[in-house]
Amino acid sequence: MIEVSHLNYTAGKRKILSDISFHMKNRCFYGIVGNNGSGKTTLVRFLSGITDVPDNTIRIMGRDINSYSHKTLARHIALVPQHTSLMFDFSAHQIVLMGRMPYQKPLHADSEQDLETVRDCMTKTNTWHLRDMNVNNLSGGEFQRVIIARALAQQTPILFLDEAISNLDIHHQIEIMDLLKRINAESETCIVMILHDLNLAMQYCDELLVLKEGSLEAFGPTEEILTRENIRNIFNVDASLVDCGPGLKRHIIISRL
Amino acid sequence: MSRRKNGLVFFGLCIFCAGLAVVSCIIGVSDISPSTALRVLAERLLFLNSAATGVDEGTEYIIMNIRLPRVLFALVAGSGLSVCGLAFQAIFRNPLSDPYVLGVSSGASFGAALAIILGLESSLFGLSGLSFLSALVTVMLIIKIASYGNRIHTTTLLLAGISINFLISATISLMLILNQEQMDKIIFWTMGSLSYVTYGNVLTAFVAVMLGTGVVAFNARPLNAMLIDSQSATTLGVNVERTKRTILLVCTLMVAVIVAYSGVIGFIGLVVPHMVRLCMGSDNRRLIPYSIVGGMIFMLASDLLSRMLIPPSEIPVGSITALIGSPFFIFLLFNAKKRLNK
Repeated sequence: MIEVSHLNYTAGKRKILSDISFHMKNRCFYGIVGNNGSGKTTLVRFLSGITDVPDNTIRIMGRDINSYSHKTLARHIALVPQHTSLMFDFSAHQIVLMGRMPYQKPLHADSEQDLETVRDCMTKTNTWHLRDMNVNNLSGGEFQRVIIARALAQQTPILFLDEAISNLDIHHQIEIMDLLKRINAESETCIVMILHDLNLAMQYCDELLVLKEGSLEAFGPTEEILTRENIRNIFNVDASLVDCGPGLKRHIIISRL
Repeated sequence: MSRRKNGLVFFGLCIFCAGLAVVSCIIGVSDISPSTALRVLAERLLFLNSAATGVDEGTEYIIMNIRLPRVLFALVAGSGLSVCGLAFQAIFRNPLSDPYVLGVSSGASFGAALAIILGLESSLFGLSGLSFLSALVTVMLIIKIASYGNRIHTTTLLLAGISINFLISATISLMLILNQEQMDKIIFWTMGSLSYVTYGNVLTAFVAVMLGTGVVAFNARPLNAMLIDSQSATTLGVNVERTKRTILLVCTLMVAVIVAYSGVIGFIGLVVPHMVRLCMGSDNRRLIPYSIVGGMIFMLASDLLSRMLIPPSEIPVGSITALIGSPFFIFLLFNAKKRLNK
């Protein structure tokens, strides 16, 4: 699905990413964790085609990312960025409709299918009732759900989320995570999500990719990655892992620095 | 707004615009009664007679060869300039952009002044070609000043535009002093006026504006996405750099051709798209047709005012649009400040 081989990136003299190589499969729910400045956002910017990479560094569904046109790539990859700020007035519906752009021809009207998909994605993200609101009047969480709906409307096999739920309250965080999990299971979408909350990562991610100072520190099944020793090593904090009973994931409690 | 209501409003605006165009043709400083003028128009345009009956040649000449091309040019230039403003606001993601503020218009006027001094004004490519080249160089220069890596910094962009405006008006003043015999013509370029346009000018400008508006309309959806930010636009499948360059090129062409024949007419690209946006939201697909008609109406009304305020003398139409436009610009600045503080 996503293959990265020997990805390097230097900004000025600072090495942001050094020799990153990994392989992500479809149907999997991935989390990217790491400290601030470890290169998570930079990596996702490369993977989603925003920043240019050398040929044959990143392959998406078996093809070099540089061989896709912008429009075709947008049918394979959608991104929910950390922040979106808007200087102009759009309604929530107009924003989500933009997610259909990769499928639309210039000068053609929006098709029934486009409108149907938009309605579906807005219902799923619990934003349909906000459709006629000016997005500049929405709360941070509502706006972020609109942006998530837009990414879903792109109907891509790969979905990146860059700390997309950090602004949401706990109810909407869980709602979005459940939704993503469902989409991941139903439509075999590969979900790659930058997360700060290790407990959310523990609960929802099948595998974790750990970045530390621009290097790939660890990559593997979540339960194997999130151990006491690893957490100490990666985040420089002491943690206890508590068993919550049969059928439940373990809970991480950060005890001290 | 429902589709039906939307259509009705648009239709109403078109009718109003057509009415205003007719009024512009039949009102003027020369001593021709509106009914005579209307008759000339009807006979020549509706019944396609080769000459109007019972009207002397001079009157017919004024209506058909002075007022009519002027009105037609106002329609073309008004729509072209407001579409340019709309497109610039999208590619620079900045509500304060328009060809005048960014110095594109002054750049073009510099080329036009140069063409006059060099005696190239009679050839088609001399005047509009030099305007285009000089406008293009100006745009490149301003973008060069305002960009940090791939990003264009808004405040620097506006400051660069304003300083280039100063630089160019100083250069044009210098050219005036050195070429006093051409002074009248060059002053007219810096003030903006529709007095001297011919049918040939109308046709050239029409072709350029049609081409440019077509390209902008073709990119209406990408421009919507670029109003959010370039990163979002990229992930929605827009080739941001290519779109920016294409739009910049065709808009510069439109502005250059319009400026070559009518001089610098400012602020239309700022006022009209914003007025429309206030009523319709930011979807460019809707804004483009409304901006076209809105630009026509704004330009016709300004030209009418420029002729009627203190007859028989004529105020340059650029001053009228600036009189309306600059307060509006200041209002937008206040608005932008409010948004930043929010």
